[in-house]
Amino acid sequence: MASRKKSLLKVIILGDSSVGKTSLMNQYVNKRFSNQYKATIGADFCTKEVVVNDRVVTMQIWDTAGQERFQSLGVAFYRGADCCVLVYDVTAPNSFKNLDSWRDEFLIQASPRDPEHFPFVVLGNKVDLDNRQVSTRRAQQWCQSKNDIPYYETSAKEGINVEMAFQTIAKNALEQETEAELINDFPDQIRLNSENNRPGNADNCQC
Amino acid sequence: MWIQPKELLLPSAFWTAEMYSRYFVLQKRRGHGESRGFGSMLVGTFDSVMNTKPAPYRILHQTPSSEVSYEIAIGITQDDIVKDWEWLQTNLFSVLNEMENEDEVTNFTICKIQSLYAQNNQDESGESPDFKVKSSNFRQIFKMPEEERLVNSYSATYIKNKIPRQGQLYISLNHVCFYSLMLNQEIKLIIRFAELEDISRSGNTIYLKTTNNMTYNFTLMFNMNEAHVLIEQLNKMAIQKLIHDPESPVVDHDPSNFARLGAKTSKKSVLLRDLTARQKSEEFRVYFRLPQTEIIDGKIKADIWTPYSKRFNAGYIYLSPNFFCFRSDVKDLVSVVIPMKTIKSVEKKDDGQQRFDNQIVIFTAENVPFMFAKIADREVLISKITDLLSRIHIPVSRERAKYDISWSKQTALLNTFKTEFSADIQKKQELKMARWEEHFRDFGRGIAMYRTTDVINLIVEGIPDKLRQEIWLIFSGAIHDKEMNPGLYEDLVEKAACIKDSYTHEEIDRDLKRSLPEHPAFQCTDGTGALRRVLQAYALRNPQVGYCQAMNIVSSVFLLFCDEENAFWMLASLCENLLPDYYKDKVVGAQIDQGVLNELVETYLSDLHEHLERLNVIKMISISWFLAIFISVISYESSLQILDCFFYEGAKIIFMVSLQIIEWNRDKLLNCQDDGEAMLVLQTYLEGIYNPEYQVPQTTDKRERVRTQTVQTLIHEAYTKFGEELTQQRIEELRNKHRRLTMRQFDIDNEKTIVKAHMQNVYFERQELHMLLTIIREEKLTLKSMQQQQQKAQCHMSEAPQLLPHHQSPTRAGLGDVMPGGGNGRHEAYSVNFEVFHTLFTELTPWRKCVSVDVGEKLFRLTDKKGTGQLDFGQLINAFGLVCSSKSMEKLKLLFVLHLPPLLSKAEIERMRRPRPRTKDDAEEAFEAEDFFDEDASESIEALPSPSDHNFDADDYALISATQHLHNLAGISGNTFMDLSRTTPNLSLNSNASSLAQRNSTFYVDLPAAHQGTTTRTDAGQDDDNDIGLRQQGRYESIDTFSDISDLGAARITPPQTSTTAAAASAAEQMLLNVETISNFSQISDLVAATRLERADSNATDTRSLGSLGYLLDEGASATGQHRQVPNMRKENFQLLWRSIIEIMGCVQDEDMRRAYENLIEMGNSNIKKEPSLESFTQLNLGGSGDEQPDSNGNPTTPAAEPSSTTRLFVALEEELRQAKAGTAAAAGASATATTSNSSGSSNSTNTSDAWHISINQFIATVLTCECIVKAFQTRTHIVEQIEQLQKKRRKCLSTNYNY
Repeated sequence: MASRKKSLLKVIILGDSSVGKTSLMNQYVNKRFSNQYKATIGADFCTKEVVVNDRVVTMQIWDTAGQERFQSLGVAFYRGADCCVLVYDVTAPNSFKNLDSWRDEFLIQASPRDPEHFPFVVLGNKVDLDNRQVSTRRAQQWCQSKNDIPYYETSAKEGINVEMAFQTIAKNALEQETEAELINDFPDQIRLNSENNRPGNADNCQC
Repeated sequence: MWIQPKELLLPSAFWTAEMYSRYFVLQKRRGHGESRGFGSMLVGTFDSVMNTKPAPYRILHQTPSSEVSYEIAIGITQDDIVKDWEWLQTNLFSVLNEMENEDEVTNFTICKIQSLYAQNNQDESGESPDFKVKSSNFRQIFKMPEEERLVNSYSATYIKNKIPRQGQLYISLNHVCFYSLMLNQEIKLIIRFAELEDISRSGNTIYLKTTNNMTYNFTLMFNMNEAHVLIEQLNKMAIQKLIHDPESPVVDHDPSNFARLGAKTSKKSVLLRDLTARQKSEEFRVYFRLPQTEIIDGKIKADIWTPYSKRFNAGYIYLSPNFFCFRSDVKDLVSVVIPMKTIKSVEKKDDGQQRFDNQIVIFTAENVPFMFAKIADREVLISKITDLLSRIHIPVSRERAKYDISWSKQTALLNTFKTEFSADIQKKQELKMARWEEHFRDFGRGIAMYRTTDVINLIVEGIPDKLRQEIWLIFSGAIHDKEMNPGLYEDLVEKAACIKDSYTHEEIDRDLKRSLPEHPAFQCTDGTGALRRVLQAYALRNPQVGYCQAMNIVSSVFLLFCDEENAFWMLASLCENLLPDYYKDKVVGAQIDQGVLNELVETYLSDLHEHLERLNVIKMISISWFLAIFISVISYESSLQILDCFFYEGAKIIFMVSLQIIEWNRDKLLNCQDDGEAMLVLQTYLEGIYNPEYQVPQTTDKRERVRTQTVQTLIHEAYTKFGEELTQQRIEELRNKHRRLTMRQFDIDNEKTIVKAHMQNVYFERQELHMLLTIIREEKLTLKSMQQQQQKAQCHMSEAPQLLPHHQSPTRAGLGDVMPGGGNGRHEAYSVNFEVFHTLFTELTPWRKCVSVDVGEKLFRLTDKKGTGQLDFGQLINAFGLVCSSKSMEKLKLLFVLHLPPLLSKAEIERMRRPRPRTKDDAEEAFEAEDFFDEDASESIEALPSPSDHNFDADDYALISATQHLHNLAGISGNTFMDLSRTTPNLSLNSNASSLAQRNSTFYVDLPAAHQGTTTRTDAGQDDDNDIGLRQQGRYESIDTFSDISDLGAARITPPQTSTTAAAASAAEQMLLNVETISNFSQISDLVAATRLERADSNATDTRSLGSLGYLLDEGASATGQHRQVPNMRKENFQLLWRSIIEIMGCVQDEDMRRAYENLIEMGNSNIKKEPSLESFTQLNLGGSGDEQPDSNGNPTTPAAEPSSTTRLFVALEEELRQAKAGTAAAAGASATATTSNSSGSSNSTNTSDAWHISINQFIATVLTCECIVKAFQTRTHIVEQIEQLQKKRRKCLSTNYNY
């Protein structure tokens, strides 16, 4: 069984157009922010080595196009994902509203084994901007209603919370791996972990 | 129809005479019609095999002494021919009888007929009579509607089970059909073009594969090519139609200007000539990059004089309304496009050598001569050109509406934001420029230049910045569009600027700074402003495309080199001609081309293909290659050079470059383990491609790029390796193929998703759901349902205003947003309207046997709660699921409900009782006729799906999903047709006694149209009782049913007095009012329930008064007795219900059933006696007592306590009921509604049959004692088998259970 453990984590970033998916990915991977990104056509891709629970794993991050007409193309990447990152723009309420459909679409297309507990992470991006429109509470409520999805407020520009968020992403993705292997033995363990994550998130949100 | 008289020698072989006169005989073809003799069988086979297929009727002219007869008329139907015969009778018989000489008679007749023929054929469509016969044969055999036009038919052999069948292959606009009749063995096949998955050809056989994996082969001896091309073409049109207009994907060919091109004398059908011309025009347009509207007019062989090489080159001149083109026989040797409007003169010239005679010289406005020789038909050509020139229309800028917007056209951004070249590169650019100048000198400049391989070579080497605009415009063809639409761009810009709150504009604005951010021009408003205008204008021009990401990237590059308007036209040409359908929904065109690329990889790089397929990598990576033409995929300066080639080559360059890149990375790709790795390999490689001749020094991108290859090498290699083999034609062929496959894949993906979303339903398995989706899709595509839909829509349009004043309100659009599980139209594609539902119901479910009552129609109305006239897939599977399931009790309950008023109204019963032929069709017809001609408006509404009368908002939706969820949790099937609970209408309730009374009386007013006394009141009262009791008991199922019924009741509330009173206008007003009040009915009952609850002190909680949600909360209660609260049924309805049961069982009653029937009748009788209204109130308390079974009689066992105290409201209700019981018209009048007083005149009866009623409990309990009924209702219907049968029937054009 141990041999099946892959040291490769596939992470998909979803969210409306121009919420900052590409920027988040690049901030995390290259520690750089640029306001010169082009709209992503199709998909973009980066890898990064991360250490999670003393294990070195390669994180494959797939950055997708946000415009709706590209959505049907995304299906191909969804398969085999270990974690799905839902991004919205705290200054654009619509991008928050659409999280629901992004999540549903992902679950239906990726058909994970255990949709109820598939690791999602929600990122409210662009907190550096002044004209915030979606309150932290609202976002947290939504996340709680969806089986306690970890929630972070980030700024790809300032690099706020990005590292932390992706650490959680990596950790949860890895747990998804373990879960897949131990699914029958320790079904409750996962829940415990996800609860452990929560207080940490609340702290993060205050910054 | 008269025909050109034909001589015949053997007038009677194969024919039987039907009518005689002295000089004429009317004959009928044997083998058509009833007679089953061997002779007619043989004739039938002969006709079919020999492809003679004459019209079944004809008239001959013969003279007693002559052997020769003349065929003078043919007829497809008897009426046709008799009409001609009658004409002969009135006009010719007497005249001919007066003539003495038989020759004279014959001459006169023939002369007369000829003139008739000529006269009739002048105004006709130009089809030959032969073809008309063929078309009508085609329509008859395959039961095609009049609109489906036959294109052509071919004699063909279809081999099935190794037995060849000789017959006819009919190709019509939407279908390929085959018919063969051999010794009374008939074979029919109908294949829709839109369902073809593969078309292939080998030798003389065409293989067709349909989406449900059936293959068919047709061997043609003649015209093989034509048939094959035709099938390909029509298939392409069908799929394109599907892409452009998924709602009505029927190819409908307008008789366009194409028709006049074909030779008039040709025997081919007008449509065929038209289609061929269309095909040719398309090729012509693509080759010369002409506007879409350009239609080829003809081509003539000629030689062109090319001054640069000083010789003549053979080729063809092509003419179209606005262009004069030439193309050499030798590929790419030379071609010329001369716009007609620039032609100044055309002169004949004859001083050439003998070998090059028949010359003409064309002078353009710039006095450039073009010389052509060896013109096959010079006079014709010249007259043709003169003709075209005389009709040429030079577009002028129209007077535009004024907008209050100030803007100015941005010139090419590079003029302001100059690229700074190093001296070295500057020199290279100048060198290039010089070479282009030289080229212009030799080959001409502008549109009308000689386009040769030289220019291709120059383009491939890269166009200098200064010339890009000019060359791009010419080679993309954008210049023609621009010149034909002067002023359009300004107009669009200003119109678009006036649009506020557009989502598209939002999307555009978001991307303005994300297009070419590294270029300084787009870091300020000069660039972004122009980009916004261009994109907004295009979104307005082409709403189907709107705005798609990648358009911004491409447009921004255009804007660098071209002025704003030119950039716009280049974008238009890109979206409409060069990259068809690329930027549409789902970027379908790009997906198609990805399929093409995939196949090309398989062909040219076969060793890689399998590996890449496994990595699933091509699809992911290449989408941006196609959509952005490599801009932003490779460095900007490199992509420019690909763009240069792109305008000349079209999509071909993308394919070639893609192949080349993959090939160069072959080894690395083969080593990749997963998609990510492969993506990285290609990404790194692509980023490393550079352009040494065009290095922009100020690159802000600091990312280190490992230089991999120059773009020049890339293009050069790509051309040498793949340029030759990859022709435009091949790309087109592959595109046709992948267009089919891609659209098919979309369907499959869609269906998979929908099935996943509905996996939790209790009735169907995965495969069954798939089959259902398939059949729905197919049914929706059949012509018949399409047309009916259209007709219905028209009816709706014309009638809706008077009949359905509230019909505008259904909040379809609003619903889409909150619809669980799909804001995208995915599910909508599978929603069914009434026609499709009814067809499927009659074809697939066991209840089709029920012919007396149209159960399907009832079920649709019951299920279509929102009154939208559409059922979504979830509703459909619930309705069908129950009917096909093995749940006998639920099914019986459903059947009971379906036979209740208002679903089965009194008026309908009356109608059924009227003596009239009972066949299905007649009933249908009569039904419809009555619907639309009867004065009684209520009937028209009934025919249509019930309209909605209440509004729906998000809260309601939450409620509904909550109920659905509960249903699921309980695992109860009941969520079926009743999943949507009645929601509280938002009208404020005015709860005083009189209004309540009024509402009550109006509610059931349509029901017992003829009587209005006791029973009406009682029924209404009881319904309320039941409703209340129900709430107490917490039975969701019955209450839902009830509220459904009240909805329906409300919908068809039109008062009956419309037919009796003349005051139609006031009646209409009244109706409007009624609809409103009635919609409150359930609210009233809610209120009653609430008050009742207080009083009854049951175990209910407050939630119950919130409408129908409450009852759900304790729905865990046992399943018995829950049917008690459905309204009781009257005798007429019951008798029909019984008949339906017998019909469904399809057998005669046995002893058990007879006894059950008698029992039920008896029970109904005894129910009359214990009628009083208050007792009926007590019945509601029965509900409270929970899971009690009715006793063996089916009578409820527990009498409940009389309610002690009532609220004011309740008193009023009881009072009303008492009055009603008294049965006096005065009492009815007291309720003071126009409705009651109007109908009171006819309501003097409280006779036994009206009073007779039976409750659902009694019914179910009794029926369940009948073993045979239970057995019959317990059988599960295997929907898959039913669907497969239906598909077979459709394919073979067998008569189906249901015929419109």
